[in-house]
Amino acid sequence: MGRPLDESDLIGRAKRGDNHAYEELVYAHQGIAFRTAYVIAGNAADAEDAAQDAFVKAWRALGRFREGAPFRPWLLQIVANEARNRRRSTGRRTHLALRAAAEQPSGDAAPSPEASLLSAEVRDALLAAVNELPEDQRTVIALRFFVGLSEHEVAEALSLPEGTVKSRSARALERLRESYD
Amino acid sequence: MTELERALVALGRRLDIPPEPDLRSRVRERIERRPRYRRAVVLALAVLVVAFGIALAVPPARSAILRFFHIGAVTIERVETLPAVRERSLAAGLGPPLPLREAEARSGVPLVLAGSRPQRFYAQPGLIATLLRYEGKPVLLAELQGNQTGLVKKFATPTTRIEPAAIGSFGVWLEGGKHVLIWIAASGEIRQVEPRLAGNVLIWTEGNRTYRLEGALNKGQMLELGQQITR
Repeated sequence: MGRPLDESDLIGRAKRGDNHAYEELVYAHQGIAFRTAYVIAGNAADAEDAAQDAFVKAWRALGRFREGAPFRPWLLQIVANEARNRRRSTGRRTHLALRAAAEQPSGDAAPSPEASLLSAEVRDALLAAVNELPEDQRTVIALRFFVGLSEHEVAEALSLPEGTVKSRSARALERLRESYD
Repeated sequence: MTELERALVALGRRLDIPPEPDLRSRVRERIERRPRYRRAVVLALAVLVVAFGIALAVPPARSAILRFFHIGAVTIERVETLPAVRERSLAAGLGPPLPLREAEARSGVPLVLAGSRPQRFYAQPGLIATLLRYEGKPVLLAELQGNQTGLVKKFATPTTRIEPAAIGSFGVWLEGGKHVLIWIAASGEIRQVEPRLAGNVLIWTEGNRTYRLEGALNKGQMLELGQQITR
């Protein structure tokens, strides 16, 4: 069995036209790409199309990818662009929703300690407050806490300065605190 | 992490986000497929290239074409003497750098540039521009909407080579001797924005849009970059 391939090796090979290397990159990043697209576009069909188009566009733009730079933020910027274009074209404001009560988070045998801290009532109120946030603040909160991106990655994905992400995040948390406390 | 932030993380785990689809086969299929229309475009371009070559080879036709011709929003003129201008940075005269949304609002031009995008953009009426890096070199991308709102004039010295380029609906490559670039906004008032000497340039049209790339790249590199922009 060969050693797991380093991401920069895969990128180098993909840049030289190796489709299989690129397929491995798609496999490694498709989960986060889909979740990023989903929280922005707001529905599964648009998120899937956005993620797929983003991978195709990233393949074609690999020549512009800077050697040695991290691949994930670069890819997520393309994903976020695609997802925002879809959301703009539908002109709908979408709302994130909770899974049905009987379902457990995928892969979890039991609720995580954090999840058990939240009563159903608090959860509903908090989600309603997130859904009521202005679009730009909601996107930052969703990418930061629901998708799990760092502030730096959120800034890259949304093509914003990191300071803008910090201030949007702070304003949003301030509003959410009112619903949570 | 504060209690509220931990609560948000917990909330995220309970969100109804569908399981991720496996995109590998569909992405592979699309990157391996060469669109059929491209063959037709290549053929059409070949015909154009031949026609263009013939036109340049015939003295009366060459004189007519090289004195003045339009490509989308761009006009190219060949003159005996260049206006007195100097070398300036690629984005000189295009105004202050702006975030994308503001640049789109000011220019009235929604950016097409596919793939990852820089953070700073420049706007003039009918024109949006940004600096890219390709093969380690800065390249100015300008997108112009329509053929009236933003008008660009270029004066080429006799040492500047002008060739057809296989990109978009119609493309032209300018290389060699320096030429002078003048941006003109034609929305009511005619305004000249800082003339300057320009380097190698690829100009092409696609739909209602004219694209212009400028930088110290060769024709092959510029075409590669150009093709990545509109996909």
